[in-house]
Amino acid sequence: MSATRWICLVLVLLTASLLATVVGTIHVPMWALWDALCGRTDSVPAMVVRTLRLPRVTLAILVGAGLGMSGAALQGAMRNPLAEPYLLGVSGGAAVGAVIAITFRLGVAFLPLAAFGGALAAVVAAFSVARAAGARGDPRVLLMAGVVVGAFANAAIMVILANAEANAVRNALWWMMGSVADATWTQIGVLAAYIAIGGGGLVALGRQIDILALGEDAAAGLGLDVDRALRNVFVLSSLIAAATVAAAGLVGFVGLVVPHIVRGAGVRRHRSLLVGSALAGATLVVLADLLGRVLRPPAELPLGAVTALIGVPFFLVKLRKLA
Amino acid sequence: MFRFRHVIAALLLTVPPLLAACRSSETPSASAGESHDDFGVAIVVPKSPKRIVSLNPTTTEILVAIGAMPRLVGRSQYDTFPDSVKSVESVGPALRPSVEAILAVHPDLVLLYASQDNRAAYDRLRAAGITTVAFKIDSIAQFKRDARLIGALTGDSVAAKTLVDTVSATLDRVRKATASLPHPTVFYPTWDKPIITIGGGSFMSELFEIAGARNIYAEVHAPSAAVALEDVVQRDPDFVLSSRAGAERMKASAMWRAVAAVRAGHIVTIDEDITTRPSVQLGAAAVRLAELLHPGSVR
Amino acid sequence: MIRFDDVVVRYPRSAADALSGVSLEAGRGKLTAIVGPNGSGKSTLVRALIGRIGVARGRIAVDGTDVSAFDRADLARRVAVVTQREELAFPAAVSEYVALGRFPHLGIWHVAGATDRLAVNDAMTAAGVHALGDRRIDTLSGGEWQRVRLARALAQGGDALVLDEPTTFLDVGHEMAVFELLSRQAREGQAVLLVSHQLNLVARFADHMVLFHHGTVAAAGDPAAVMRADILERVYEWPLVVTRDPAIGAPALVPLRGRSGGK
Repeated sequence: MSATRWICLVLVLLTASLLATVVGTIHVPMWALWDALCGRTDSVPAMVVRTLRLPRVTLAILVGAGLGMSGAALQGAMRNPLAEPYLLGVSGGAAVGAVIAITFRLGVAFLPLAAFGGALAAVVAAFSVARAAGARGDPRVLLMAGVVVGAFANAAIMVILANAEANAVRNALWWMMGSVADATWTQIGVLAAYIAIGGGGLVALGRQIDILALGEDAAAGLGLDVDRALRNVFVLSSLIAAATVAAAGLVGFVGLVVPHIVRGAGVRRHRSLLVGSALAGATLVVLADLLGRVLRPPAELPLGAVTALIGVPFFLVKLRKLA
Repeated sequence: MFRFRHVIAALLLTVPPLLAACRSSETPSASAGESHDDFGVAIVVPKSPKRIVSLNPTTTEILVAIGAMPRLVGRSQYDTFPDSVKSVESVGPALRPSVEAILAVHPDLVLLYASQDNRAAYDRLRAAGITTVAFKIDSIAQFKRDARLIGALTGDSVAAKTLVDTVSATLDRVRKATASLPHPTVFYPTWDKPIITIGGGSFMSELFEIAGARNIYAEVHAPSAAVALEDVVQRDPDFVLSSRAGAERMKASAMWRAVAAVRAGHIVTIDEDITTRPSVQLGAAAVRLAELLHPGSVR
Repeated sequence: MIRFDDVVVRYPRSAADALSGVSLEAGRGKLTAIVGPNGSGKSTLVRALIGRIGVARGRIAVDGTDVSAFDRADLARRVAVVTQREELAFPAAVSEYVALGRFPHLGIWHVAGATDRLAVNDAMTAAGVHALGDRRIDTLSGGEWQRVRLARALAQGGDALVLDEPTTFLDVGHEMAVFELLSRQAREGQAVLLVSHQLNLVARFADHMVLFHHGTVAAAGDPAAVMRADILERVYEWPLVVTRDPAIGAPALVPLRGRSGGK
């Protein structure tokens, strides 16, 4: 992709972020934005920007970037255009962890940890199931193992929620719909660290993913340690996805749709595709959050609902192109 | 031949569910009169019921207040006021109760909350021949009507009227005492993820008016609504009402401190008992609220 | 250059060995061809070479060193392998595709330099796909794609070229072009190891032929020694005669009608 297009992509992200910071129930004029950035929060708009909007927009950028990169890496490594970050059991496992934390009232601070731990436990379970089935990291078997783990997770959630009190059920449901509204700067910092390290690692693996996309025998013929490369991609992608789920709940479709959009702009090499997916994913989630805030005042639409509503027509269009 | 088979199949697949749906939803009436309950079903007053099951904290405490407790044989697990009621056997949750557990105590009158969750149990109990009445209990007017209706059902109409009159008198007294005072605006969140506020249709909103204040979401007709924090910041309430634990959480949260009232510490804490549902203590609740918002205004 | 010593390979959960004691050598400057019926273990040998399946007994060595002792990238720089099948999940442009062949040569930062670009260019010209440079892979015909994969292997460079059935979809003209190219590569000093079904072309171009049968070597040597009717009939289980082709006089196989048919 040419330099102009990259610059455009960055500009679009910046514009979307600016828009999301300024637009909302409370009108924020430019001087208030400037005040907020300089740390002066005397006026209501400036304070709203600093305590409410900036954390959300920052978290939205990070979540979108993480999910976009994770999706692009998994689609390449698994040679499957329908792969997405939640595939290996991340979403099911995280939901189980969160539901347990909510139902048994383990405390608000524990919730992200429980979600993260649940996600990782599910990924480990998926790998174990795949290994027990005898496959050496064969993506198709791993995919099926992920589905199995996801189904088990859903059953566990139903069992736990069936006997939970109404408030716990409502809380759990809200968490599962995804939201960047409850962002603390600490959570944002932790997520940023995961995205930076995990994302950096994935970009470094970009060339290897290009080779993996040729098929495992061909990749081995080009000198790639296929099993190790696959494992590295899965681990990093799952870590990033788990970190986003811990911070923002389940935000679907981003990891699935964004790589297709970037590929549609002509980007093929995974190194560029990963960076492009990070930028495009960030833009998508920032805009989705903005839409969720302004579409139905005074309430907010959950982030996961908006991304799903965007994702469905996208896939209808893509199906038409295929047929 | 081809077409005919498919038409039959389509009919078999769609008609039974439609019939089932029709049977279970009686014509709903927007505001039920004294002769219909809040599911719109006509009420048949039983001949002196002796075994009453009440699956709602408000109806339970109304029964106790009008002297029907000796006849109470079952309550929901959440009905814990007054303390004496705990000696009555619990037959399960107030929403989606187990019909078997209710039938096991052989009631001849069952009182339920009029929510869709209870529709199935309601229909099955009526099919078993038990007088079952569903109540909406969101506003003060509904509470008064429910009390009168329960009195009529149990044969304690006089006691019920006394209860309603006492509560009304206290409410009027408080209203008069605060009428001429400036009315501050109040925000009362009942939940934080998502933020749910009480709406104009809630008894709490009415209590605020009586106690000399104004709910910032009074124009919302429903008893409750989900709102975004920014909307609250924009409406800028003078006070925020909360439980003690909630107050601590709000003061510590950077996000909640975007609300001016939280920053200034104008958080009014109140016991959850009187704020979660209308009760026989409505009068006392109004007095308490008036004292918190306008100290010294009510004798 | 590539030497297989008594190699035994068995697939997991399989009753029999896929390769039971295979020994052969593909030396520099020679075109060595492996032929044999379906399922005789030809592709298994190639997979064992690139480490996709483990060797139960025996040794595979490149330039005297066991393959398991090699760093994978180092091995890929010496030996370029074109496998039988490949996947096409995310089609890219042909020149991009061929450029992937330089992967083992790129450093940590994986940035292609002038040498790499030159290698890619030369490889595409040698394989006759230079004109297809900007086309997308999924718009190519089967034959064109095969030649592009060959170009990638050439771009990979190295002293040895291993190809598993590289002419499956090619018409006679392109097939001859590929065999002539491989012959040229061999004469220029590379070790070319080829798995093919095209017995007659192999007989014309190969310096050394190895005939596989049920995972063992049934016959090995120069084409004249291997292309004998009795050996071939036994291995392929089909009646045939071996004659000499009128153009060069290389041994040529002519299959006859099956026994269950007519004359």
